[in-house]
Amino acid sequence: MYSILYVMILLVEAATPAASASSHPLRLSLCEIEYTSKQQLMTINLKLFLTDVNEALVFDPYSKELAFCQPNESAKADQLLLDYLNKFFYVKTNGKKVELKIQRKKLSGEGDNTALWVYFEHKQGQSLTSLEIKNAVFTDLFFDQNNIVYAHINGKSKSLMLNKKTSAHQLTF
Amino acid sequence: MFHKLHHISYLFFLCAFLMVSCNAGSESDSAEEELVQRALEIHDRVLTVDTHADTPLRMIQPGFDMAERHDPKETGSKVDYPRMKEGGLDAIFFAAFVAQDIRDDDGNTRAKALCLQMIDSIVSSTQKNADIVGLALNPDDAYAIEKEGKRAIYIGIENGYPIGSDISNVAEYYEKGVRYITLVHSSNNDLADSATDPDGTEHGGISEFGAEVVKEMNRLGIMVDVSHGNDSVFYDAIELSKAPIIASHSNARAVTKHDRNMTDEMLQLMAKNGGVVQLTMLADYLRTAPPNPERDSAVAALRASMKPVSEMTPEERTALRESFQALNEKYPAPPATVKHVADHIDHIVKVAGIDHVGIGCDFDGGGGIEGVFDASEVMNITIELVRRGYTEEQIEKIWGGNLIRVFKEVQAVASEIQAAG
Repeated sequence: MYSILYVMILLVEAATPAASASSHPLRLSLCEIEYTSKQQLMTINLKLFLTDVNEALVFDPYSKELAFCQPNESAKADQLLLDYLNKFFYVKTNGKKVELKIQRKKLSGEGDNTALWVYFEHKQGQSLTSLEIKNAVFTDLFFDQNNIVYAHINGKSKSLMLNKKTSAHQLTF
Repeated sequence: MFHKLHHISYLFFLCAFLMVSCNAGSESDSAEEELVQRALEIHDRVLTVDTHADTPLRMIQPGFDMAERHDPKETGSKVDYPRMKEGGLDAIFFAAFVAQDIRDDDGNTRAKALCLQMIDSIVSSTQKNADIVGLALNPDDAYAIEKEGKRAIYIGIENGYPIGSDISNVAEYYEKGVRYITLVHSSNNDLADSATDPDGTEHGGISEFGAEVVKEMNRLGIMVDVSHGNDSVFYDAIELSKAPIIASHSNARAVTKHDRNMTDEMLQLMAKNGGVVQLTMLADYLRTAPPNPERDSAVAALRASMKPVSEMTPEERTALRESFQALNEKYPAPPATVKHVADHIDHIVKVAGIDHVGIGCDFDGGGGIEGVFDASEVMNITIELVRRGYTEEQIEKIWGGNLIRVFKEVQAVASEIQAAG
């Protein structure tokens, strides 16, 4: 009796580190994808917490090393960011992966709430029949990371939540 | 509601009790068992209402089924219908949340479309699971649905952004089942100022259009929610609203200094207004995070031993990530606990009175602490309240009675306004 109960207690205690880690604020990122067939241009905007970006790229949430959007931004900042995003994020139009080229970036907010916005553009000449999005950013850091995707395609809006378990989804038109 | 003996938290209490009993067998253990049992019985009898969950965000996750039990350690999911039943949570407000974006016609149109998608997700979830939950529109629905052995699902909107600049949207949302609207979220919008906008105040509280929205909410019978608003939003809402207001997920600033929490003066005014503050399970709002020097030292030492990131191979990066994760597990952040929750409740009761406090966990929106990690563990709040000497009558008020009272008053005011034409 005693040993069975002891094992049960150990199992409960084993869950403690995960429970403690998730008492952090909500782990969230936002991705907005916009496309109109009239303009034949797709814009992809990622809003990422800067602390998460730094943690993912240089293992330190408060690192000044990459200095995104600062006059002293590191020459390797964009490449490190792209290497990371290419591992955890993609957009496919009509089944073909969009090549991610950073058009511009900006910072908003302050302190722990500072967000890094990353803008991409993609020329989509052919009519859009399917859009597949993978967004598993920061799921390598946090088990409870969730990534909201807003897709605005030819005037119709749709929202999705992607995470470690369900990292990709395809929309068809 | 607590016949499921496999429930982990209840099991923990039971095991802990039995283990200690085996070793000591003291009278105090027997008293503890009696206390837990009494608390669970109270929890079973009273109506339990959680006024804030961002679970609609889960509903837009492809393949997520509210009727299935999910592992909270897998993706952080905190609410589904089986876990509501396990925790004895009778009613919940699911908040349709749309992140603040550009405040122009295009932005407003999109926000409305996204909000309606969220509301439709909630409604269709209740229709799909009509055998275990019911859509609730009026205060008494919670009691009626609970009596049927089902969970009551109410709808709120978190962030007034999807109202855009069109006042008629308020009535459209009401018709869809929305019964509270949080005026603003983490950034200022056209209705009100946020407590956390880095640019500070824009309207000095509630804007002129926001005042019209409050008036329309009063007319329709939608509760005015001031959580996320800055202090001026609270004072303006008290002044403008003809009906009592709510803070669907906010805590006491005197206990934990945070701009999202409410000062004692605000709590007293809330009492005068007849409204209610719903305690939230967000760790940073419950306690100031204590230092974690062992982890800090270990992390600093690991960083000092790193070679430049740009020179690392992918394998080295992966190994380093695992080393950091191992440190996080070895030195977890000291958690917020149910004792912190009860500390806030004690304070609000002292300052505002027992009639002005409730529960709004903010599950799936950042809420979830040790002991109240997800919907299946909410009974631990009741156990702590019983431990602190709260009576069943008081617990009934905290867990739902107060909120339902305000909800009824909001509807009564709406009826008067509509009758007056």
